[in-house]
Amino acid sequence: MLGQQRIDLLQRVPRLKPMLKSRLFPPALMLVTLFVFMLAILSGLFGTPAGSRNFGIIFVWIVWWALLIILLVPFFGRAWCTICPIPAPGEWLQRRAIVNRTSGRLRTLRWRWPRRLKNLWLQNFGFLGVAIFSALILTRPNISAWLLLTLMIMGVALSLLYENRVFCRYVCPVGGFIGLYSLVAPVELRVSDPQICASHKTKDCITGNEQGYGCPWMVFPGKLARNNYCGLCLECLKTCPKNNIVINLRPFGSDLLVAKERRLDEAYKAFIMLGCALLYAGVLLGPWGWIKQWANMDTLPHWALYAAGFLVINLVVLPGLFWVTTAFARRLAGQSISLRHLFVDYAYALIPLGLAAWIAFSFGFVLVNGSYAPGVLSDPLGWGWNLFGTANVPWTPLWPTLIPFLQVGVLIAGLLFAIHIAYRIARQNSSGHRQAYLAMLPLGGFMAAITFMFLRLYAG
Amino acid sequence: MRRERLARIILLLILIGIPIAILGFQRWLRPALSPTRVIDIVAAAPEAGGFQPGAFKVEAGETVTLRFSSVDVTHGIALGPGLGIDLGYVDPGHVKEVTLTFDRAGTYTFYCNIWCSPNHWRMRGILEVNDPSRILPTPQRDPVIEALNVEGVNIDADHTTSGMSSPDGTPVQQLMFAVRPSALRGATLSGSVNIPSDLNVPLWRRSHTPAQGLALLISANPTISKAEAADVVAYLWTKDASPATLASAALLYDKNCAACHGQTGDGKGLMAGLTIKPPAVFSDPAHMFIMRSDVLYAKIRRGGMGTDMPNFGTLFTPEETWALVNYLWALALDRQLGK
Repeated sequence: MLGQQRIDLLQRVPRLKPMLKSRLFPPALMLVTLFVFMLAILSGLFGTPAGSRNFGIIFVWIVWWALLIILLVPFFGRAWCTICPIPAPGEWLQRRAIVNRTSGRLRTLRWRWPRRLKNLWLQNFGFLGVAIFSALILTRPNISAWLLLTLMIMGVALSLLYENRVFCRYVCPVGGFIGLYSLVAPVELRVSDPQICASHKTKDCITGNEQGYGCPWMVFPGKLARNNYCGLCLECLKTCPKNNIVINLRPFGSDLLVAKERRLDEAYKAFIMLGCALLYAGVLLGPWGWIKQWANMDTLPHWALYAAGFLVINLVVLPGLFWVTTAFARRLAGQSISLRHLFVDYAYALIPLGLAAWIAFSFGFVLVNGSYAPGVLSDPLGWGWNLFGTANVPWTPLWPTLIPFLQVGVLIAGLLFAIHIAYRIARQNSSGHRQAYLAMLPLGGFMAAITFMFLRLYAG
Repeated sequence: MRRERLARIILLLILIGIPIAILGFQRWLRPALSPTRVIDIVAAAPEAGGFQPGAFKVEAGETVTLRFSSVDVTHGIALGPGLGIDLGYVDPGHVKEVTLTFDRAGTYTFYCNIWCSPNHWRMRGILEVNDPSRILPTPQRDPVIEALNVEGVNIDADHTTSGMSSPDGTPVQQLMFAVRPSALRGATLSGSVNIPSDLNVPLWRRSHTPAQGLALLISANPTISKAEAADVVAYLWTKDASPATLASAALLYDKNCAACHGQTGDGKGLMAGLTIKPPAVFSDPAHMFIMRSDVLYAKIRRGGMGTDMPNFGTLFTPEETWALVNYLWALALDRQLGK
């Protein structure tokens, strides 16, 4: 399943390469998404406060989110980062151009990004920071708009201070989890022959040339082994004089088995994403109205308790339980590798489970609330417009009886895949099948218990 | 170079042109293109500000378009008195509008007519129509309420089943009915009993309680049973309302009264538990037999002091109020409702 089979899409679809090499790609698409983004901000700031009738809420947190988590991330990895409008103005300011390749260095103050922040921790805490306010952000257009605006201002500010996409690589709370889950995706950008890159002296993909800029994500494609820090901007495809860049179709989850680059910050990202999916499912879709009220900041003390609980569960309880599980697995299997090493390694098995949990969670509200989209398309600000004649399309949940089946199916598939990955990772850390199998048992039990909680929430 | 220039133009359009276009269209161009003056009224629950603006003026003869939108919960928008305008539900983020021309000066109320919050009844706004050529008519005192005041009737006498007192302040012995009085049965009986002349006078019935009517009827018909007499009284107190009047009153009642008093008048509306005093029980004949039509009318129009009963005199015409009173009798006395 996770073999080395690869299909080079650029070879298989010859028309793709000239399209992707054009300098119009991706700026043309970024302009489109920037337009949508601008409309979302405007409707959030000036439109109706009723979330269900506001373009900003419906198109960001339902339409975009559904596209992102159900389609783009699982199947195309970081494809959203390719066209994301948030870093676009900052990047264009750096380059002093939108489409063209301008000569000279990027226009920034060339500050150096602190070494200790060259990891996912900022993104981890940024995501949690957004998550504890999510009940407000997801329902109140003005708060949602301010969040989007803040992200864009941060993108521009960091672009003025630092070279390249420091914001995307180290700060963006969305980019962090997209990167993590892109490890599962069946699409990858790699080099055809790493030896060519190693022996290539000018390294145009890093320095840039007249065809394009050096990698804005500060990645050397020649050593690219995983998806998570490649933003698929495709500058390397444009700059590579050796024609060595390929875009492959590959088995799902291939990157989860790349052992050499596993890190604690990424492991924690996996915990945080799984924990948030579980808590969101409980808070936003569960039967406990009082938690929802707390999350909605009915009183400050209630919200503070909710936020503290949210953080403790994500940062302490879930990782703590997994630590204990890993220790048990290590003892059961008789593994001699350090517990910390195994803890980090095994955490990668939670990635497919977390992704499945997010997809299942998203089915729960996307299919129910997706029918708000035609209405806000015609009347984005809730001002009584009817641009396309769809303003009065009634709210109609799509296949409500099918949703639990979809959720259960996705969760079970995610669990099975996660157990498979856990076994494969255990195999990397074991002397043989039996040891890996024994190590997998407690890990599988842990993941089954988590899945059971989701199933209880979704299917009763 | 051409591509770059085009991209920059598009970027400028997105960052500057779109905000200007959208906000400018809504704020300036749309009103300018509208054939009528457009007044946007934003509805929010009273604790969040109620109607914004809460009051505005238009000129007599001027055609105006009132656009109502809701920002929080579903509101029901109506205008009165006497305009007969009910825009129905306005859901959050939706807009409903009505175009009106007022031919003379007056004061009107726009109000919410579905329960939107514990302070729902405060959700009202004032629309004042000016006529430069004429002075705004002086608000007239309601003759029915004035007459009650002159008579010394306490409109605010406790209407709950405990501590019952009559509108004129005298202690009342609540009647007990083994069988619920029925206007339907009373209609068939009415031809065979001697009905005192007072009972045939609508104005007399308005200012007297059915209990008083019952006493009169029994004294004029010594052989009649109390239950049969009560049926005939029930018939007399409900016979004047036409089915059409009752039907329109039922709509008013359901929208404006049922939340507290209950759709059947049982006093068990969804919001009954929130009121300072228990809402009156119109479906209870024992209670209604000691009520007077003019007092019910006054309570509706003026509101109930010391209770959560708001005034409806600024929302309904006197005719609509009398229709509502008739509807209350119909609820109490087994008159076939016009629903």
